Amino acid sequence: MRAGLTSLLTLMAIFISVRCATAEQPALQAPRTAVAGSKVVLGTSGSGKASLYIVGQGAAIRREIQLGEQVSLSSGDLYNAGRYLVFLVADGITRSAQFDLLPSQKTAAISFLAKPSRLPVNVDDGLSGVVYVFDAFGNLIVAPQQASFELSETNGAKQTRRAITSNGVAWVRMNSAPKAGPAALLASVGGVTEKRIVQQVAGDPCRLKMTARREGRNVILETDPVRDCAGNPVPDGTIVTFTEASGSREATVDVPVKRGVARTTLPNPPNAVISVAAGIVMGNEIRWSDAQ
Amino acid sequence: MIRQSTGRRSLVVLFAVLCIIVCVGADVPTVNLASMDRVGPRPLEQQTQTSVIRDYLEAWGVMNAAFQRDEPALLDAYFIGAARRKLGATIHDQTGLNLQTSYKDKSHDIRIVFYSPEGLSIELVDDVEYQVELRDHGSSIGSQSVHAKYIAVLTPTETRWKVRIFQSGGST
Amino acid sequence: MKKGRLLALLLGLATIALIAIGTLWPNQSGSGVVDANAQLLTSASSPENAVNVILQRIARHDWESAYESLGNKSQFTETDFTRDLTGDYGSLRTYAMLDGYDIRPLHASSDEAEIRANLKWASVVGTFRDSRDLRVTRNGNRWQVSWPVVKEPKVPPQVIAVNYLRWDVIYRGPDDDWGTQDVEPPHVRIVAMRPISRDGGVIVMGEILNEDVVPAFVTVKAALLDKGGAVLASEDSFDKISHILLPKQVSPFRIDFPNVSFSQVDSVRMQPDSGLVAASADPVIAVEDQKLAPVPDASLSGNLVNQSGQVVNVVHVIGTFYDNKGQIIWVADEYPNRALLPETPERFLISLPADVSNRVTSYHVVTSTYSASRFQ
Repeated sequence: MRAGLTSLLTLMAIFISVRCATAEQPALQAPRTAVAGSKVVLGTSGSGKASLYIVGQGAAIRREIQLGEQVSLSSGDLYNAGRYLVFLVADGITRSAQFDLLPSQKTAAISFLAKPSRLPVNVDDGLSGVVYVFDAFGNLIVAPQQASFELSETNGAKQTRRAITSNGVAWVRMNSAPKAGPAALLASVGGVTEKRIVQQVAGDPCRLKMTARREGRNVILETDPVRDCAGNPVPDGTIVTFTEASGSREATVDVPVKRGVARTTLPNPPNAVISVAAGIVMGNEIRWSDAQ
Repeated sequence: MIRQSTGRRSLVVLFAVLCIIVCVGADVPTVNLASMDRVGPRPLEQQTQTSVIRDYLEAWGVMNAAFQRDEPALLDAYFIGAARRKLGATIHDQTGLNLQTSYKDKSHDIRIVFYSPEGLSIELVDDVEYQVELRDHGSSIGSQSVHAKYIAVLTPTETRWKVRIFQSGGST
Repeated sequence: MKKGRLLALLLGLATIALIAIGTLWPNQSGSGVVDANAQLLTSASSPENAVNVILQRIARHDWESAYESLGNKSQFTETDFTRDLTGDYGSLRTYAMLDGYDIRPLHASSDEAEIRANLKWASVVGTFRDSRDLRVTRNGNRWQVSWPVVKEPKVPPQVIAVNYLRWDVIYRGPDDDWGTQDVEPPHVRIVAMRPISRDGGVIVMGEILNEDVVPAFVTVKAALLDKGGAVLASEDSFDKISHILLPKQVSPFRIDFPNVSFSQVDSVRMQPDSGLVAASADPVIAVEDQKLAPVPDASLSGNLVNQSGQVVNVVHVIGTFYDNKGQIIWVADEYPNRALLPETPERFLISLPADVSNRVTSYHVVTSTYSASRFQ
């Protein structure tokens, strides 16, 4: 009987110890995922005080809590998307968990790269547009989103392209217009729109033609209005090179286009071949003789 | 033949990157690079591949050092824009609480998923395994092993590619 | 005596009367003369007078009363009207005075008229003209002018070609605003490149074109690579290039590698670089009377003529020389030691190696200039 009583007491002691131990051990419950902007609730159990740490590349938080209470984190505490680690420390015991804070699905901002900001007319796929999509907290929204791009030209024509974002990014290529001038390139995702102005400039000079006339001891060289192949006038300041070759002598001058034409004065040679070029585009040649 | 040359090219890139990391004395994580043949829309040249991966892995090391030492200025070398701001703000919060963390990367499984047409951004997805250790006032609180998917966008600067977006996007 | 006094009195009265007439009815015919006093007594009793009143108020910068007397002032604010006439952004208009005008009726009826006003503005750089077709309508017993206001646009970040052929650049701010509107660097392209062996070293020569519509500051770097792809040497064109290229302008470049043997070189990696730069299309320098001299004084000589009105303190002359296949065989330069005065020819001479001179079939000379007055 005495042995039985001893056994019974021992068993009871063990049972009570185990119960006490399990009753006091802290526990931590964390959601697997949460969405930025919403409340994140962490559950704890146990008794007594504890320190709760939430760390990640997007936040560092420490709170002194009472075990058994729920810990609520608002969007003001936690808003950067990413993986967060939770440590609960009480009486030398550490419990840990992890959860992901995911970006919200609502587009609040886009980064829009439109390149180039200046290109010649009539270039197929010459323009590119890339958008990265962010929520209100600056998190990249990786879920697919519908993106649309619209290029409005000076003559009212529009080009529209659509794309679905993948890993938060969408891109398109568009053609530049045949007519020079500023064009607006808009990108829209989820009601958020960004605009870039793209300057479409004249292409290489085309059918470059000059005339020559004598003026005293000089010859005046002047081009027709310098235009590209689509008829767009090349901008003032474009360099036109006049070359006058007479026997073993030569004269050249680089002249900027002004009000659409390039004009210069060179000495009147006895017999010369006069040529004109702009960049790598050659124009006409004039065989000039003293009799002209 | 094409597959072999592709695999060979990835090996060359990987070898070059690892050599660089070993040479600068850093702990070497395991790095796996997916084939870059389908990266688009802009074609990715070998020199760019090497630079981007090298700079991205260096960024991890720099991030770890910045968090360990509570020195956000260290991030400037490899981070820019939103990524720099967010990491810097976290280190600032951490410093205020007298916490230190370390992020030791153990392995990377990297796939470049986008190279923008004008060449001004590269996006990669990285399946990372890393160890996080937390200290409070210098005393170790605990450490956890993490396996997470990261999305990073790097943009070119004068000297290197810098991380502009750095976000873990959930489990792998 | 009495007659003399009478004559004096008559003359005095006539003088006073003429002065009064001239003051009350000043001469408005032909070119408008801006006369402050005349306006005080001129009324809008006819379409021409109404236009005169407005223009004289404009001349005196009396914007408020000019604006108040307009018939269409409900369509725009006084600020819009003032800006139309004085400009914004510190333009020529801002510092200009209305020096004169002439008006010409285009058509008229009993209640409406259209008058063309040619305005002559005097600015710090000379006069400029502005022509407006003004609609004038009768309102009771007076005529009112409707002003065709022109609103000035805002200037977005861009490269601006100013009408006297200068370019200025407006950059975005220093903050790291990724993806926001910016100006594109100029597009340049190497259109010719040729490495040669010379004097135990390597010389890389070529031509670079600014194929953009904005000025570019260009540099060209070359790296010589061996068979394994390792870089043997890397150099810049330094000053053997015209660094500022206007749109569609071509410059030669030459990069010397004196310590690298040509046999070591497997390939050359070229790296042109360009950046936006404020620039001016002036001065225009003509290169006249160019002539190749044979050995022993192998050279290219000629005259530089500054076709601008400004003194060019320093001019850099670079010559590109081609063989009969059109390939570049030499690039050489020279700095004449005298300034270029306007319209005054100044000689230049570029020396050539004898062996190169024998093979030259054609050549092209470019110049780049420095004027101290542009750096104030």
